[in-house]
Amino acid sequence: MDAFKEALVEELGTHTAFTIPLFGGIPVAESVVVTWIVMAVLLTAALLLTRNLSVDAPGKVQVTLESAVQFLNGFVRTNIGSHWRPFAPWLGTVALYIGFANIIGIFGLTPPTKDISVTAALALMSMLLIYGAQFRYNGLLGGLKKFAEPMPLLLPINLMEVAVRPLALCMRLFGNVLGAFIIMEMLKFVAPVVLPAVFSLYFDLFDGLIQTVVFVFLTTLFTGEGIKEEEA
Amino acid sequence: MLEFHLSTIVFTVLNLLVLYFILRKLLFGRVNAVLEQRAALVQNQLSSAEADRRQAGELKARYEDKLTDARQEAAKLVADAQTRAQRVYESKLAQAEADAKRLRSEAEAQIASERENMLQGARNEVASLALLAAAKVAQQAMDGESDKALVDSFLAEVGEQA
Repeated sequence: MDAFKEALVEELGTHTAFTIPLFGGIPVAESVVVTWIVMAVLLTAALLLTRNLSVDAPGKVQVTLESAVQFLNGFVRTNIGSHWRPFAPWLGTVALYIGFANIIGIFGLTPPTKDISVTAALALMSMLLIYGAQFRYNGLLGGLKKFAEPMPLLLPINLMEVAVRPLALCMRLFGNVLGAFIIMEMLKFVAPVVLPAVFSLYFDLFDGLIQTVVFVFLTTLFTGEGIKEEEA
Repeated sequence: MLEFHLSTIVFTVLNLLVLYFILRKLLFGRVNAVLEQRAALVQNQLSSAEADRRQAGELKARYEDKLTDARQEAAKLVADAQTRAQRVYESKLAQAEADAKRLRSEAEAQIASERENMLQGARNEVASLALLAAAKVAQQAMDGESDKALVDSFLAEVGEQA
């Protein structure tokens, strides 16, 4: 049992894959390396899928791809409103990255989203997106005024949300992936053969995709909240 | 385990930005461009179909006008031909009637003059015969002018009675 505990604690930590010998050594975490793999996969897939796009005679693959992009566009437009256009590619990128990062455990790699630094970076970008958009489309004064909505009484809460929202996004994603990872490790320890495969369907695939949707949906929702009413 | 590594955060932000630029250009940009092109294409085809339809309608109206014109023209031509034929027919008929009348009157005049000639001849013959008979009766020649006038008036008298 002690060995199991030790192995588990060992798994919880982040591994440094290698160290760049610059400025006294920059550690490159395992999650960063796996992210590069995910990026390579996505880049290859994007190049392969968009190779022969045709305007008047789309193939089956292109139709599927177009439906997905249209779904993303429609989702972002519904939640953000008329300024949706610049947000869709970023949200799509984040969705693809988190989605692949979450389910990459199936292929035996450590999900990058198990590293809290990665989810923190994601949440940081979401925060910049949400409040950047709020000031970009409302102006400095309008953006500040947004913090006093729907009523000035909520000003402290809205200001707290600047920190709470990214923290919640970060911790939710990290906690879910970490929890799934721990449960899977325990299952593998208890019954190494059939059981993990079945539970992996839920914890790696389903939960991974759900958390992707939650992260992107909340980011979109908050962004829309910051800029939407201005044109209502 | 809850340790934030600045290097990992910076790397992840950079990775995300790079991935964003790649996917925006290669995936979303391309697919959205195709979607927009298709929308434009459909719009074009719809408007061109509408233009074609309108043009076809205009052509149809023009052809119908032309057809109506042609029908009227044909009817006019037929009517013209009919009136002309009628006129020709009537003039021919009138000419034929006039000819016939003229021939008839000429023939009548000829017959009348022949009859007159014949009567004149017969009268002269009868007058000379009567004079001859009277000369035989009177045993003298009766060929003077006065004798002849006498016979003529007698014959005229007789002829009137006859």
